[in-house]
Amino acid sequence: MRIEEHPVLEFKRGKKVYFTYDGEKLEGYEGETIAAALHAAGVKVLSHSDRNRPRGFYCAIGNCSSCFMEVNGVSNVKVCIEPLREDMDVKTQKGKGKIV
Amino acid sequence: MVKTAEVVIIGGGISGCAIAYNLAKKGVKDVVLIEKGYLASGATGSCGAGIRQQWGTEMNCKIAKMSCDFFETANEELQYDGDIEFKQGGYLLLASTEKEHEQFKKNVQLQNSLGIHSRMLNLEQAKEIVPHLNTEGLVSTAFYEKDGHLNPFHATEAYGRAAERLGAKIYKYTEVTDIVVENGKVKKVKTDKGDIETKIVVNAAGGHSQIIANMAGVDIPVYSERHQILVTEPLEPLLGPMLMSFSLNIYCQQVPHGGFIMGRGDDTEPRDLRVTSSWQFLDEMVKTATGILPPLKKARLLRQWAGLYNMTPDRQPIYGPVDDVEGFYLAVGFSGHGFMFGPATGLLIAESILGEEPTINIDRLNLRRFESGDLILEPSVV
Repeated sequence: MRIEEHPVLEFKRGKKVYFTYDGEKLEGYEGETIAAALHAAGVKVLSHSDRNRPRGFYCAIGNCSSCFMEVNGVSNVKVCIEPLREDMDVKTQKGKGKIV
Repeated sequence: MVKTAEVVIIGGGISGCAIAYNLAKKGVKDVVLIEKGYLASGATGSCGAGIRQQWGTEMNCKIAKMSCDFFETANEELQYDGDIEFKQGGYLLLASTEKEHEQFKKNVQLQNSLGIHSRMLNLEQAKEIVPHLNTEGLVSTAFYEKDGHLNPFHATEAYGRAAERLGAKIYKYTEVTDIVVENGKVKKVKTDKGDIETKIVVNAAGGHSQIIANMAGVDIPVYSERHQILVTEPLEPLLGPMLMSFSLNIYCQQVPHGGFIMGRGDDTEPRDLRVTSSWQFLDEMVKTATGILPPLKKARLLRQWAGLYNMTPDRQPIYGPVDDVEGFYLAVGFSGHGFMFGPATGLLIAESILGEEPTINIDRLNLRRFESGDLILEPSVV
């Protein structure tokens, strides 16, 4: 299922683009959120709790921090509100965020 | 609610809970603690929860060391089934002026004489401990690895539960409305849930200590000042010790959970017991913090809050009995370091009430020092 309407963001689906998810090449549409592209590709586990329990798509509006991933080397990116771009490198985040 | 008690303690922060625990441990049967909200709902739960022994007066050093020693074994001593999260990453104090550098040297000398093995570190040595420290504009630092911080909610809860196991009664969401004094002696504490007859009342009301003292007809030279504080999102370990600067006006630590907690003082802050937050604090705090620790520019803030410093003229607590009202004891005026003094407060006030030989002589911290004007000012407060 592809998420095409968002409760607070307006996103215009652009051209088809490719990005990587944990090294795997996936496709999505420019301008939709990273989470929308992952969801459409069947990726349901976005992050893990302190106790290493899986966390998935939850609030979808950038509040709950359940979707923190590492994007282009930056930790704690809320992929539910971050627009997808060509060649993005999206990774499952290990541990808490890094700022150095 | 009980009708009588041997001792009534007002305030369910670290001080009140530690006093209740120590009294109960020493065999006092009817110890009652009254708390307006929940445990640690006032200054204790709002504080930065740093534990330092690097003080500038003998009394503050002694009280802090005694408390820190206790925190090291508190989980076991209090038989706590949680964890007080005591992390001894040290305190790195930053001197940015020659004057501050000289003060630190004096402080270190005093601390060393009292068994606190702090030392001066040059800026290179400081960077070995905090690699991301921006040393620009700094002169030197002082460091003690046994300083640290812990979780104020857990610590208070640990004391509270231990006190209750020993028979103390804790009444939460109960507000003291008056203290009845007859012929210069404490008679009764009135609350919104009923009255308790007692001969001994301990004022451990933190930011509200003056209101409680006034109920007993006692005037204490304190005021409560709002201090604000913030926390970032949890991040991977980056900062070992607490960073503190008196001239830059900042303390900043990374707690075990990963968040950075930081605060600053401002003596123009409101003194009307408000604990609201301001954007001005956020603005100043962020500038100072990212100045000394530049990677913080990339950290996201979670929230900010505020608590009350109960300030005394010499920035040292007021401990012990009040001469004019028999049975009225003070554990107030901590000036921003009541949490870290909690264990000592508990033991010393219990000893004072029971007339035992004091572990540390606290006569110099009695209320009467303000009449004689015999004050030794603590120079090292944020």
